[in-house]
Amino acid sequence: MFHVSFRYIFGIPPLILVLLPVASSDCDIGGKDGRVYQNVLMISIDDLDSMIDFDSNCLNNESNFFKKHSCGDNKEASFLYRAARKLKQFPKMNNSEDFNFHLSRVSQGTLQLLNCSSKVKGRKPPSLGEAQPTKNLEENKSVKEQKKLNDLCFLKILLQKIKTCWNKILRGAKEH
Amino acid sequence: MTILGTALGLVFYLLQVVSGESGYAENGDFDDAELDDYSFSCYSQLEVNGSQHLLTCAFDDPDINSTNLEFEICGALLDVNCLSFNKLQEMYFIKTKKFLLIGDSEICVKLERKSMTCRKMNIVKIVKPEAPFDVRVIYREAANDFVVTFNTSHLRKKYVKELMHEVAYRQEKKENNWMHVNLSSTKLMLLQRNLQPDAMYEIKVRSIPDTNYFEGFWSEWSPSFHFRTPETSIRGQMDPVALTISILSFFSVALVVILACVLWKKRIKPMVWPSLPDHKKTLEQLCKKPKKNLNVSFNPESFLDCQIHKVDGIQARDEAEGFLQDPLPSQPEESEKRRLREGMQGPNWPSEHPVFTPKTFIGESPFRCLAGNISVCDAPVLPSSRSPDCREGGKNGPLVHQDLLLGPGTTNSTLPSPFPFQSGILTLNPAAQGQPTLTSLGSSQEEAYVTMSSFYQNQ
Repeated sequence: MFHVSFRYIFGIPPLILVLLPVASSDCDIGGKDGRVYQNVLMISIDDLDSMIDFDSNCLNNESNFFKKHSCGDNKEASFLYRAARKLKQFPKMNNSEDFNFHLSRVSQGTLQLLNCSSKVKGRKPPSLGEAQPTKNLEENKSVKEQKKLNDLCFLKILLQKIKTCWNKILRGAKEH
Repeated sequence: MTILGTALGLVFYLLQVVSGESGYAENGDFDDAELDDYSFSCYSQLEVNGSQHLLTCAFDDPDINSTNLEFEICGALLDVNCLSFNKLQEMYFIKTKKFLLIGDSEICVKLERKSMTCRKMNIVKIVKPEAPFDVRVIYREAANDFVVTFNTSHLRKKYVKELMHEVAYRQEKKENNWMHVNLSSTKLMLLQRNLQPDAMYEIKVRSIPDTNYFEGFWSEWSPSFHFRTPETSIRGQMDPVALTISILSFFSVALVVILACVLWKKRIKPMVWPSLPDHKKTLEQLCKKPKKNLNVSFNPESFLDCQIHKVDGIQARDEAEGFLQDPLPSQPEESEKRRLREGMQGPNWPSEHPVFTPKTFIGESPFRCLAGNISVCDAPVLPSSRSPDCREGGKNGPLVHQDLLLGPGTTNSTLPSPFPFQSGILTLNPAAQGQPTLTSLGSSQEEAYVTMSSFYQNQ
């Protein structure tokens, strides 16, 4: 009888403390009324999507990023935060000026709306991919092109997932 | 002493502080006034040149010396922290794609890299749309209205797409009497009846952001468009077919009204409200007048001048036969027969009635008339067509009339048989003046023959 009470006293509270960060969101998101997303972010996402012209093979490219991060319940804000930070890496892909500006607007605008904890902010931003050792210039060129295509494909999928996650947030805000 | 010095120092210090707060400085300049001079206002125009945005700022005081003054914007920018304005005359502007369009920015006035005054602004809250253009007014005669259309570059933009437009129009003669209409589309209908005919009008349009995110100021007015409303004659012209039909209808109605008034008593009222027939008048109308001056009336006063002779008795049948067997001149008999026929075939005498001679007469006479006196007594009612005409009764002289009534063997009789064919023979004496004399046939006074013609002749 006595050891049972010890279990409840010393077992459950620490369990709650451990599980609480898992269940709670790391970030708070502003603009849940949808005005910022519908008037600014969605326009840039649609423009970027129209600029990226890929075939259906792009959908089969499943990145590790999506395996690790998804727009789960109570995880929408953190997913958007990670996605926005991922987008920051793309302006350096030597794209058009408008492409880069739209990309920056989605990234920077999303980050401006989010208020994430230092724990999330302190994590190392995920990289696009590891550099492959090349043999010669031609191979290097083809590798770069292939990398660019892969990155654009990843970007297209990422933008779709960002859009889906925003719709989920706004849908949840309307229900509440 | 020390205390005194300290006190004086404090006093001077306080004086300096107070004088400084009041705005009095060593160089004589007013510091507060300098800060107020740098007040400025800005407005933004998104996608003014493709995807490029424009931000324009200007000092509120036009007399300010802006030679060394610069403007700078920081915050809410893409990939940069701050951007500097360009100067054009007294205006400061910046054309860039680097506006984030989310959050506030800080715009500062700098004098030699020193911020003089700053204001926090949100680029999306100071949007000034571009002025509408291509204002057109088209008159629609069929609909009697004016269609106002205009164009705006924001229809093709991505951010500021929804605008509220204001259309202002006035009659050119009446200044500052503008009429305003707000609409969200680029098409407006003005009814002709709301405008003066044959007048010159001026119309112009401006816009303002109408979204829940972008806000700002009214745009500049569009270039004015002038149009003239049509004249009253055209406005008042009616369709000629409709005009003709309306005139004909009016005259038709007037004619019907006049005819109704004229024919009301004679034709319309008897048909609509027929009067109940009077049986006496109806009967008089039904009677056929054999002669023009035939007096047909049920009024006894009309027969005042008639000699009414009472028939006292009717002689018996035997006496009648005896009377007939008495020697009588054949010629008078024939003439009498002829007269009988004539009398019996008077104007009121149906020709189909056979003449009965005394010989054929059988039966008693219902008349009981006294000699010398003839009256209609105990006699059944004769048809009105057989009513006596007192004026014509005495013209034909004495006649031997025979009974007019028909026996059962007769045919083609239109007259009813009021009594059986039995009566006496009534003879009239032509010598009497206006007074028919009765001579009883034989000894019988009960039998007399009364004929209708005697009534005609004796009167």
